[in-house]
Amino acid sequence: MFAKHRTTGYNGYAVQWSPFFEHKLAVATASNFGLVGNGRLHILNVGAGPAGGVINTERVFDTQDGLFDVCWSEVNENQLVTASGDGSIKLWDTTLADFPIQNWHEHQREVFSVNWNLVRKDSFLSASWDNTIKLWSQNSPQSLQTFKGHSHCVYAAMWSPHSPSLFASCSGDHTVKLWDTNSPAPVQTILAHGNEVLTLDWNKYQDHTVVTGSVDHTIKVWDMRRPDRELNCLRGHEYAVRKVKCSPHSGSLVASTSYDMTMRMWDITTGDMIEIHDAHTEFVLGVDFNLYRDREIATCAWDESVHVFTPRCLM
Amino acid sequence: MTSRLSQIASHLVPESMNHHHHHSPGAKIGVKSDDDVMICCAVRTPITRGFKGGFKDTVPEDLLAEVLIAVRERTKIDPSLVEDICVGNVLQPSGGATTSRMAALYAGYPVETSLYMVNRQCASGLQAVVNIANAIETGQIEIGIGAGVESMTMGYGSSAMAAQSSEKIPRGSQDAADCQLSMGMTSENVARDFGIDRKAQDEFAALSFQRAALAQKEGRFKDEIVPVRTFFKTTNSKDAKNSKDSSSNKEDDEDHKKPVTISQDDGIRDGVTFESLSKIRPAFASDGSTTAGNASQISDGAAAVLLMRRRTAKRLGMPIVGKYITSVVRGVSPRVMGIGPAVAIPAVCKKAAIEVKDVDLFELNEAFASQTVYTIKTCGLDTNKVNVNGGALAIGHPLGCTGARQIATLMNELKRRKERIGVVTMCMATGMGAAAIFENEQV
Repeated sequence: MFAKHRTTGYNGYAVQWSPFFEHKLAVATASNFGLVGNGRLHILNVGAGPAGGVINTERVFDTQDGLFDVCWSEVNENQLVTASGDGSIKLWDTTLADFPIQNWHEHQREVFSVNWNLVRKDSFLSASWDNTIKLWSQNSPQSLQTFKGHSHCVYAAMWSPHSPSLFASCSGDHTVKLWDTNSPAPVQTILAHGNEVLTLDWNKYQDHTVVTGSVDHTIKVWDMRRPDRELNCLRGHEYAVRKVKCSPHSGSLVASTSYDMTMRMWDITTGDMIEIHDAHTEFVLGVDFNLYRDREIATCAWDESVHVFTPRCLM
Repeated sequence: MTSRLSQIASHLVPESMNHHHHHSPGAKIGVKSDDDVMICCAVRTPITRGFKGGFKDTVPEDLLAEVLIAVRERTKIDPSLVEDICVGNVLQPSGGATTSRMAALYAGYPVETSLYMVNRQCASGLQAVVNIANAIETGQIEIGIGAGVESMTMGYGSSAMAAQSSEKIPRGSQDAADCQLSMGMTSENVARDFGIDRKAQDEFAALSFQRAALAQKEGRFKDEIVPVRTFFKTTNSKDAKNSKDSSSNKEDDEDHKKPVTISQDDGIRDGVTFESLSKIRPAFASDGSTTAGNASQISDGAAAVLLMRRRTAKRLGMPIVGKYITSVVRGVSPRVMGIGPAVAIPAVCKKAAIEVKDVDLFELNEAFASQTVYTIKTCGLDTNKVNVNGGALAIGHPLGCTGARQIATLMNELKRRKERIGVVTMCMATGMGAAAIFENEQV
């Protein structure tokens, strides 16, 4: 199955499948490749069964600046949060009005990622090019905490799926930092790559395993308890790795996207690249696994298209 | 918007990639980066004629000490910051390892500054600089000196050759046997194989002498030369010993040993013309074209180059002379070893992604006029860009020193002309060619 959806006029930055609905997909996009102009949040419905491959737009929300990331709420099935180039974070409700129901503007620079707490589900993180990470509650008009420690743009801050207060971040300062919300300073710093670390994700099946992707073209697998060297280094991407995602269905399957216009899938226990999705014609920035349909993956790219498909390795 | 654009651009073309596997072309010409390996100082002693010239009684380590002192004094660098010194040398016993280390210690570098020798024949002085540049590039050291020294007066001849040599090796390989050819024979081979006649060689040699004489007269070597205080024996003590007069003894030698300051290249002769060169008899074959006039001189001298990353130079307030871009060495047939630069020049330009015509100045070591002319013709070089202040034919070729000496002369002349890209290149005995690209940043 391979379905394409055009986000005409908008270049894709991030995709996330809803944690509540198997057919719902959120896509964060920006005009002019996110360099200038506004943004659009797309809520898509992806059919299954006889309607398999049919993608409809449920609704869209327009923003003043480009959107770089999106994450669904873990407590409210209709709500989701976006990260914007103007430093703002907005909470949306797909059943309500065209404008955000909450708007937070504290970051001094582009917000590059937002991520909802998976264990306590009561808060979310933002990571910004102003070198900081912020902790938010949807019920509070101000951030709960600001985490300073990185010396360069923070590209992602991701909650551990196993611990309520632990999260990891990656940055242009080449490091990955482990944080606990109970302390202001990082618990650990790993000099992860020889260049900027653009993305990271936690393994859903192994408590301490984190996967990183970097400008140095490589993906590295880490045991956070042994920060001195990686468990594995996956090579294959021909340009910077933009996104890594650990499968929610398998402890060894990881998907990655890159400026080399591909999405690739890897077995992190063997280190093998098991598939290349070559169909995009521009930088591929977003990838996510459907939580309910364990053979379905979505990608988005600067070619203004969203792909929803079953990779060969999952057929 | 521009910051978002440059952010993405830096993801695609990152400044430094520590873990990548593909070929790195070296520092980019015209683009300044704090990672660039920079030359902060390049100096040389005068080059004097072997056996007869100003340094004939000076041991090589004394010459090396002078340039190492000059580097320290001219840049005011704290010598304890210099982590390693690499010295090119070809003829000294044990490669000059012990004497050079002694020279560095005498020159004010602490015991913590390590030192080693390198021998890549006539490219040794260049190889020393390249080795230090590579050590800095890989992060092995932060600051180093690449140097070269040779006293051909004291080293030339049988003392540089082993008492016993292999029989089966030259028998089993013609190329190996050709490594034992005299340099003059290889010059004759180049002249014959590639049709470089005596006339072309003498014309070029005259040009080298005339350019060198003019450059010397105009003081164009002043900034790069480190004057050396040393001793010079005015009589040939061998003759005195040979006489049956038993009163000739050490005291007599001391009397004839006078202190001198050598501040000029004394191989350069004024008034050399094509006509005067034409009269010289061939030196290596009776029907040959290579003469003492169109072959490099046997010489003594030393040179040193201080290197560090740009960010280190900025931090320490060091002068910025220029940037090391990249270099190559290519092997060629030993019997025509002189063609080396003709292979190395296009190879190094390709590596740096420039055309040969983009180079502003060449320091092309004139081992022989035959091979220099061959290289110029084969690479299509503009002779107005090659050895503009003369070359080894006029100035001399102290083997291990030459590569480093050429760097000093090159950077000096690029500065004088306000030009940017320079190449140091030479052939090597046993068949090799080396070439290195430097970018001038002096204003």
